[in-house]
Amino acid sequence: MTIASPRTDTELILEVADIGHTYGSGDTAYRAISDLSFSITTGELVSIVGPSGAGKTTLLRILAGLLTPTQGSVSLLGKKVTGVPEGMAMVFQDYSRSLLPWLRVEKNVLFPLGSEVGSKQVREQLAREALHSVGLDGHAHKYPWQLSGGMQQRVAIARALAYRPRLLLMDEPFASVDAQTRSGLEDLVLRIREEYGMTILFVTHDIDESVYLADRVLVLSKPPATLVENVPIALPAPRDQISTKEDPNFVHLRGHVARLIRAGGPVDAAPIA
Amino acid sequence: MTTTTAGTWSKVGRGFRGAGTRLAYGFGLLIVLMLVWEWATVSFPSLFFPPPSKIFESSMQLFFSGPPSQLFLTEAVTVDVAATVGRMLLGFVLGSVVGVLVGTAIGRSLLLRQLTDPTVEFLRSIPATATLPLFIILLGGTDAMRVAFIAYAVMWFVLINATSGVASIHRTLIDTGYAFRIGRAKMLFRVILPAALPRIFAGLRIGATVSLLAAIVSELMLATNGIGYRLTLAQNMFKMADLWSWLVLLAIIGFLLNTAMEIVERKILAWDTLSRTQA
Repeated sequence: MTIASPRTDTELILEVADIGHTYGSGDTAYRAISDLSFSITTGELVSIVGPSGAGKTTLLRILAGLLTPTQGSVSLLGKKVTGVPEGMAMVFQDYSRSLLPWLRVEKNVLFPLGSEVGSKQVREQLAREALHSVGLDGHAHKYPWQLSGGMQQRVAIARALAYRPRLLLMDEPFASVDAQTRSGLEDLVLRIREEYGMTILFVTHDIDESVYLADRVLVLSKPPATLVENVPIALPAPRDQISTKEDPNFVHLRGHVARLIRAGGPVDAAPIA
Repeated sequence: MTTTTAGTWSKVGRGFRGAGTRLAYGFGLLIVLMLVWEWATVSFPSLFFPPPSKIFESSMQLFFSGPPSQLFLTEAVTVDVAATVGRMLLGFVLGSVVGVLVGTAIGRSLLLRQLTDPTVEFLRSIPATATLPLFIILLGGTDAMRVAFIAYAVMWFVLINATSGVASIHRTLIDTGYAFRIGRAKMLFRVILPAALPRIFAGLRIGATVSLLAAIVSELMLATNGIGYRLTLAQNMFKMADLWSWLVLLAIIGFLLNTAMEIVERKILAWDTLSRTQA
């Protein structure tokens, strides 16, 4: 069951207009983001990549409505974001702190679903489906801390899926799992994106990951973070951990993104082989 | 190669293995000490330290010589013990509720924390028992005074633990609640309080012990019933065996109270203990 708009629909979902954010004031003021603008349309998977400490988390907190930018505005589905908007779900990097340790896996997935979503049966059905989508059918009655890191993050993803957001924000979700688990989780993101027709904004500091997953990579500069380049990723679907990553286009694109990050600003495009 | 015979003593953990073994040894020591006391007090009689057998005898007389209609319980139990336990429980509940409410409010706000911290530190430094004369002047020798005094003494421990428990909740957990737009009530009752519960419970454990202590102290002055009152009475009338009987009973009440708290804690905080040992 997929309730999502078709991928051809190009409705504007997220619009970020000229935002900036400064922490503190006076001599100790720290400018984390400066004049950043971009937009995302329905069905896109966009990744945001930037050097460590580039204000990626600040940006995501602003998009999620957890932080009000000191400048500019964010609109979700045409509505200006003030406070946490409806229709948005978030997967945090720190899964062990984002899951409630006193609730079993199933209850964690059910947690954000209020009575407005539907009856108890409807909500439990949503949770079951979401847990099935992330391959955790048999683990509904375990506690999060009985699971491995990768499995815990899958619970967090299931929780976001059951919430049926229009836009899914993921904040370096796989930064604290091992490489093997990480490729599995990346493919899980691609799969649920197909299955649910989900629009996803994926923040990472991993260049390969950003290119592998996305339709488009937004490269941020060193702080104060601003948009360096919007890199379209014209790689064929379905993506595959081995064949996609040996595709000369992939190699070229990751090199290009890496150069942008190292330079911290625009670079001359290297010719495509 | 690493098989231990009988498994009574674990060299690795430097402690007794198994709850049963632990209990057997623990109570064994208690019994041995009592036998030594019995022997010593019978061999060298003292007016102040009656032998355990005598204390047992006087306890039976004091507590269990009542009419059959009262299940043989004497007035010492139905009036005095009931009064003390009642005050203790009421004071404990009131103090805990106020402590959790105020502590949570303070813990949620950095501003409030900075504002109230010196005041809290200053006020809680006054030994609670020293405030009894003040409570007596304000509320007289009433039950309300005693309950208020117990609640006051309990409150500080719960308040301070609730404050630090709520203040130390990780931001990601709170952000998760906000990001999914859960309401304020759900945030408080299903995120903040459960997350702070391990710390709050530590406060409640101390609070329970303090509630018994404060109840007895409150009954040492201007009381007409209660265990504290009966202790002063036994002291004035020089009834040493009675005095000791009350002390033994208090040990039992304290032990039961602590055990009850432990059982509740094990039940509702199993996730906390297990998540820290398994993760």
